[in-house]
Amino acid sequence: MNKKLKSLTRLIMVAAACGAPAFADETCQSPYMPKITGQEDVVYVWTLGMEGIGDEQDKMVTVDVNPKSAHYGKVVNSVSVGGRNEAHHSDFTDDRRFLWAGGLDTNKIFIFDVHTDPAKPKLVKTITDFVAKTGGVVGPHSFYALPGRMVITGLSNNKDHGGRTALAEYTNDGAYVATYWMPTDQKLQDDQSKPYADGYNYDVRALPRKNLMLTSSFTGWSNYMMDFGKMLADPEAMKRFGATVVQWDLHTRQPKKIFNVPGAPLELRCAWKPDHNYCFTSTALTSKIWLIYEDKPGVWKAKDVADIGEPAKVPLPVDISISSDDSKLWVNTFLDGKTRLFDVSDPFHPKQVYEKKIGTQVNMVSSSWDGKRIYYTSSLLANWDKKGVDNEQFFKSYTWDGKELKEQFAIDFIKEKLGRAHQMKFGAYSLYTAQAK
Amino acid sequence: MNAHFFLVLSLLSLAVVAADNPAPLAPGYLPLGFSAPVPGSYQLPALGSAVDGEVLDSDGNATRLHQLMDGKTTVLSFIYSTCNDVNGCPLATAVLHKIHSRLKKDPELAKQIRLITLSFNPENDTPAQMRGYGESFAAPGIDWRFLTTRSERELQPILDGYRQNVQKIYDEKGRDTGTFAHDLRVYLIDNRQQIRNIYSVSFLHADTLISDLKTLLQTEQVNKTPTITLALQERTGTATNLLNNALKPPLGLPPLPMPSDNPLTAEKIGLGRKLFYDRRLSLNNTFSCAMCHIPEQGFTSNEMATAVGIEGRTVRRNSPTLYNVGYAEHLFHDGRENTLEHQVWGPLLAHNEMANPSIGHVIGKINHNADYQGLFEQAFGKPPNMENIGMTLASYQRTLNSANSPFDRWHYGHDKQALPAQAQRGFKLFTGKAGCSACHSLTDQYALFTDQQLHNTGIGYAEAMGATGASQRVQLAPGVYTEVSAQLIQSVSERKTNDLGRYEITQNPADRWRYKTPTLRNISLTAPYMHNGSLRSLKEVVEFYNRGGIANENLDKLIKPLGLTEREIADLTAFLTALTGDNTKALVEDAFAAPIGDSGF
Repeated sequence: MNKKLKSLTRLIMVAAACGAPAFADETCQSPYMPKITGQEDVVYVWTLGMEGIGDEQDKMVTVDVNPKSAHYGKVVNSVSVGGRNEAHHSDFTDDRRFLWAGGLDTNKIFIFDVHTDPAKPKLVKTITDFVAKTGGVVGPHSFYALPGRMVITGLSNNKDHGGRTALAEYTNDGAYVATYWMPTDQKLQDDQSKPYADGYNYDVRALPRKNLMLTSSFTGWSNYMMDFGKMLADPEAMKRFGATVVQWDLHTRQPKKIFNVPGAPLELRCAWKPDHNYCFTSTALTSKIWLIYEDKPGVWKAKDVADIGEPAKVPLPVDISISSDDSKLWVNTFLDGKTRLFDVSDPFHPKQVYEKKIGTQVNMVSSSWDGKRIYYTSSLLANWDKKGVDNEQFFKSYTWDGKELKEQFAIDFIKEKLGRAHQMKFGAYSLYTAQAK
Repeated sequence: MNAHFFLVLSLLSLAVVAADNPAPLAPGYLPLGFSAPVPGSYQLPALGSAVDGEVLDSDGNATRLHQLMDGKTTVLSFIYSTCNDVNGCPLATAVLHKIHSRLKKDPELAKQIRLITLSFNPENDTPAQMRGYGESFAAPGIDWRFLTTRSERELQPILDGYRQNVQKIYDEKGRDTGTFAHDLRVYLIDNRQQIRNIYSVSFLHADTLISDLKTLLQTEQVNKTPTITLALQERTGTATNLLNNALKPPLGLPPLPMPSDNPLTAEKIGLGRKLFYDRRLSLNNTFSCAMCHIPEQGFTSNEMATAVGIEGRTVRRNSPTLYNVGYAEHLFHDGRENTLEHQVWGPLLAHNEMANPSIGHVIGKINHNADYQGLFEQAFGKPPNMENIGMTLASYQRTLNSANSPFDRWHYGHDKQALPAQAQRGFKLFTGKAGCSACHSLTDQYALFTDQQLHNTGIGYAEAMGATGASQRVQLAPGVYTEVSAQLIQSVSERKTNDLGRYEITQNPADRWRYKTPTLRNISLTAPYMHNGSLRSLKEVVEFYNRGGIANENLDKLIKPLGLTEREIADLTAFLTALTGDNTKALVEDAFAAPIGDSGF
């Protein structure tokens, strides 16, 4: 109990007796779950197994990140799940009691109980029939909480391992509900002058007050599993990248409009303020920030609003993270290992205001709600990560004082025999304190 | 006591946040910020069964939830009567009250709906208390029940069943405050007790709930989602008579060579087809034969130069097409196998293809899957083994024969109109000036377009011995290219495995970079070309040979500069595109009709 007391966290519980509907979170969560607005206690790092390293299999690693903890800066738990599944993204159910983590290769979904002991996630269910149930969707990627259920983006299919794919919906109990295939209907295109409705998918975010759901687009299994260098040198492979963001009717799950956003738009991050009707994405290959915004009531548009680094040098922007006041956007570029901060207070004119090299490669960035703590991990995809000595695998913790990132600690995931550090999610004891017995 | 102390602190922290962030009113109190969906224009898939449980009505009579839900569409809300969080229970009741008001104006709809408000605080919310809570909402023709339970013990299974997370809140002295922290949940339940929607604070609104209610009641009229996904639409088909296709070769092909110990039967073909599309035949259940030999991509892969296998592992060479593979005397680009029966075990066991750890593992897996029970016995009279797995996969592949192309109808069928003039000119070049038919041979009766031999064109030599360029032109998006430095590509490239061609089999230096002559049938369906997929179009291939290949000490003597003009290159290319058989659509549709084996299939 003392440990829990030490880690008391300020939080908002959605619809709690004395809480409010939360319209914000620690930067990229679904709006429908309890949020950590103070000090997070742990970070869950969904980690890829790596041949020749430790037990070689994927694992959910817990890092203690509370400076007041005796275990601060240490790995406090690791749950191996069996196999290299191409561990990628994970997210919580809307009650934040379970963490769903997907494998882009084997299509398994691992469901962890994180409320019983937040430091020690317990694997309570593994969904092994995702492909069969969904009618052929491959590559469960984003897990997005809606009331009582999860929306899951696919990246590929079991027919040709290409990019045509779907959204799937499951109940919080892990029961299959529905499959929504990505639209390829050119009539839905915002721009009718060229065919681009590719049916690809990647990330999903929603603005319920606008009944808006957005999806982005990446590439199929054949590319995301292929050796990165081999793919860059393969002109056929390079033709197969997404060029679309789809606007959906959130309530009916029906596609409404397809925007042309060429160059593989990946992570979607929506602004939080009630009058900020826009979301950002970044394109991995063309290195641009795109704004998806409501132009006039009910009419949405997509516009490229800034370059990221020098696009001709292909810095490969990957994860992005928006600040809780919508004024800043962290953008990581994988190939140069840099994190970049953009001032997006004018969303149509983002300006880079800071950059720092985090490592030889960097993928994910996660910010605390107050923006004072920023965490980084290194791995993009097992076969896209750098090779040899440049294949640093780390979890790094920084503080941000508004001017400078200062490293607090770093964990070498190879030295610790863990593997490739990928996506991060925050945990806090206080989220579950009302259940303490 | 510690737990209480902790809860108190938690409550205080909540209060701080609440003070910092004055709660805006939930959307349910306000006009809907968008047009409510048109009832019947969408679907509400079932989210599982609504659990049953014993409850008390406001007169204290016991009844069951399912009894109340029977035959009615139900809106179920959990509250406690003393809740005073404006965006908590009062929100739920306010939204139900709005629905109640709408129903008063629509008696026909009202007849089919029941509203239920169920307390999760039985200690305080007695039947009498609930009667008081609900009496101001009473209206004729409107069915709104205010329920409670006898005890927390009887309530808990209901809360668990609906995943209602409810926690009592204690004051600083550890006393029960009579208030609760809970996730606001309202459930829409159909008349078969299936949950059809769940609403929380951000979603709960009378307008959308009314649309959902009407949608459930109009199920028969629901339209399909107005989107098309071509990949799926096109990927439907009916099975074709593969045995017939194999036994009666189309025009242009000779009789199919058939091993005496593995005659074709419909059972073997059907079983082989099932195995061919079964992704479970790999270590991690993700890789069937068809993941590299994709039916609608010419039974190869048009989307990559060289293949990738399980876990994305690199395969050095381009996936060869399986069209007419039954006529091939040598298999694999280096010709290392000579029967399809044996060949199948190569990919099944290769670490970078399907990665099965052993033959026994594959046999065991097939035996383990219920959908294979009895099929090998039916086809072979015995359970699966190393031999008959090879035989059945070989049988399916042996049926993928395709000819009767425009060329065949012109050349062998003597239909003068079948082949365009340009392609006719191309054929003349093919057998004349360009000399293609020296290796891609044909006879007076049929054309396999291969000499079944291996040759050195210089493509393999250049890849192994050539210098790496300083940069590579890379497509970033349609029409957008950049030069990426070799150094950068190197940083994300695994160490490339060399490819020495036939030499790897014979160890004879003269065999370095010799590869099998592929058939040219259906060649326009099987890009990219050459053993490493390095040429993207037929025009590029013709231009390559026109240049005389790539010089090296083992360059085949037949390959030399051809001196073809641009027009002749176009003619030759036109001829090559006229080699597509007339049954490819049927073979592909037959493939679409095959089941795809996945975990849980």
